[in-house]
Amino acid sequence: MSVKYQSQKIAEYFYTFAVVLFLVQVLVGIIAALQFIWPSFFILNFNTIRTLHINALVVWLLSGLMGATYYVVPEESETELWSLPLAKLQFWATVVAITAVVLGYIWMGLNPQANSPIMGINPLNEGREYIEAPRWADALIVISVLLFLFINFMTMMKTKKWTGIQGTLVGGLLVLALMYLPGMFYSKSMVKDQFWWWWVIHLWVEGAWEVIAGALLAFMLMKVVGAKREVVEKWMYIEVGFVMFTGILGTGHHYYWIGTPSYWLWVGGIFSSLEPLPLLFMVWDAFRTTREARNVENKAGLYYTVAHAIFNFVGAGLWGIIHTLPQINKWTHGTQITTAHGHLAFYGAYVLLVMAMIYITLPAIRGVKSFDASRAFTSFWWMTISMVFIVLTITGAGMVQVYMERLMGLDYVAVKANYNLWFWVLRAIFGVGFLIGVGIFVIDFFRLGKGPAPAVSAAPERA
Amino acid sequence: MSNKAARNLFILGSLFFFAIFLGLTYDTMGKLDKRAPEITEKVNAGKMVWHKYDCIGCHTIFGNGSYFAPDLTKTTLNKPKSYLKQFLMDPKSANPNASMPKLGIRSEEADDLIVFLDWTSKVDTNGWPPKPILAAAGGVAGRELTEGQKLYQSHGCSACHTINGIGGTTGPDLTRVGAKHDRTWLVGHFKDPAAFVKNSAMPKVEAPESEIEKLTDYMLTLK
Repeated sequence: MSVKYQSQKIAEYFYTFAVVLFLVQVLVGIIAALQFIWPSFFILNFNTIRTLHINALVVWLLSGLMGATYYVVPEESETELWSLPLAKLQFWATVVAITAVVLGYIWMGLNPQANSPIMGINPLNEGREYIEAPRWADALIVISVLLFLFINFMTMMKTKKWTGIQGTLVGGLLVLALMYLPGMFYSKSMVKDQFWWWWVIHLWVEGAWEVIAGALLAFMLMKVVGAKREVVEKWMYIEVGFVMFTGILGTGHHYYWIGTPSYWLWVGGIFSSLEPLPLLFMVWDAFRTTREARNVENKAGLYYTVAHAIFNFVGAGLWGIIHTLPQINKWTHGTQITTAHGHLAFYGAYVLLVMAMIYITLPAIRGVKSFDASRAFTSFWWMTISMVFIVLTITGAGMVQVYMERLMGLDYVAVKANYNLWFWVLRAIFGVGFLIGVGIFVIDFFRLGKGPAPAVSAAPERA
Repeated sequence: MSNKAARNLFILGSLFFFAIFLGLTYDTMGKLDKRAPEITEKVNAGKMVWHKYDCIGCHTIFGNGSYFAPDLTKTTLNKPKSYLKQFLMDPKSANPNASMPKLGIRSEEADDLIVFLDWTSKVDTNGWPPKPILAAAGGVAGRELTEGQKLYQSHGCSACHTINGIGGTTGPDLTRVGAKHDRTWLVGHFKDPAAFVKNSAMPKVEAPESEIEKLTDYMLTLK
């Protein structure tokens, strides 16, 4: 395998940044897990640690998706990137901006007063979940994303070879960029604040990002098992179509209890309970396409692709639908049930997606014919088994919390500190298991194709 | 279905649902201010304090945020404001078991934050958070409450104190309080907690002498 166009190699820059941040995310995640047991463990408070945990996740996934896009667009457009130096500039500018934001979080964590408003704006941390990055960083992020989109658009314009996959991919990225804007203004009303904030969060992860996932799934199925473009693209349209039809009005499931009119209970309840459908289509699509595949060279890529489809459905779909109806959500809203859903959904829908893209494109970038996939499988099972148990422990904690706090009326702190203690201990232990899996993956990422070639390079035919 | 038809369905369908979403958003924006009290300068100042200290990094508000510490949407409805202020400025002085760190919140910042939380507590949230089923039913499950028990409920004591596992953890557990203190101590403490417990964050119980006596009777049964 090798790349068709040299500029596709830029993807590795973004992958490397993503992989390093993935490791950071999981390390701080373990600190956060230990703080559930000992709240004053570590020099930074939980709020800073959690901000780092989630922001690292969002940034590494975006970085991975950007890398994937820089790989896919030249291949689909059948030409080099419009400007490789500009793409490198965009990469380094992004790294510098993100580093500055992280240093700001840490500084504020050590000295909360450093975040005192300057001309009405908090300089280090906006204090808004997931989009904590301060306003100046928002502006830099927008510039970076616009530059990224511009480079890809100009590349597509060079040959004007429009394919469904690149169109859907870049369309999803455009919606992603646009949906960042509703989070960039201040509202005096906390209700309006949260209303627009969900436009960013929900329309990203249950809209634009799933569209991107649909496009990349189609690309990966073509690459790994040589599926026919005609067929994968048609199913891609149907999948991403249903993502949008259900996901846009599914935003309503966040508008039940934040001070919004009660018709959202109907809108959110009906549309969000349909949201798992397109994810189920994707699983079916992945199985149908790969079932008859023989002579698959990239077993690791195939594995991660199918696992992504399955865990996207289980984490985002099933763990979402269990508490999406307003009658149930009234009791579970704001509890650990949401945390459980968040962990499995992000792991299945996006972590495995970016990893699948890495395993499918990195061998070509490094120019290796075949690679030893054993580390890829080992890390997969460490991560997946650990994550499943992390999610089960948090789900258990959430069920105890809903019953004791919401139904019986026990105090939040009593439930968290006493009744859920063992869940936190187990969660931290499985967290270490997850870290081991990530560690193996990181080693594999840096060494893939660089060691001696595997002894039995024709092994894949065994199946 | 041809690929082109599938693509058009995707694009036009998405636009159709987004148009509905925009319409609902427009309608909602016109209704939000009527479902909440007026936003004064103090409320906004408190919201700025909320963002400055990244409170949402540990707490939830309207159930959204981090699940590390209690939801604060309705907190001013069941915790005395004097307690909240002392807690915000120095958590461990108000509750020795508190996990919250001392962030350096200034006096006027604490005041603003409480005004902001008072605002959120009055927003119409379609009935969220729901009242606990079992705790609400507990008082009427076949047995008559004593006068003291009724007063304990009507004064909202259980927001901070626990009896037999039910109630708040911000104040001491009262399950066996009758074994620890006598009548004189309890009556005096109700009238002026700080005179009996150094740095006490409990507000004085503003009630007629007879009610304090009945509350004390109830406390003395807890052994």
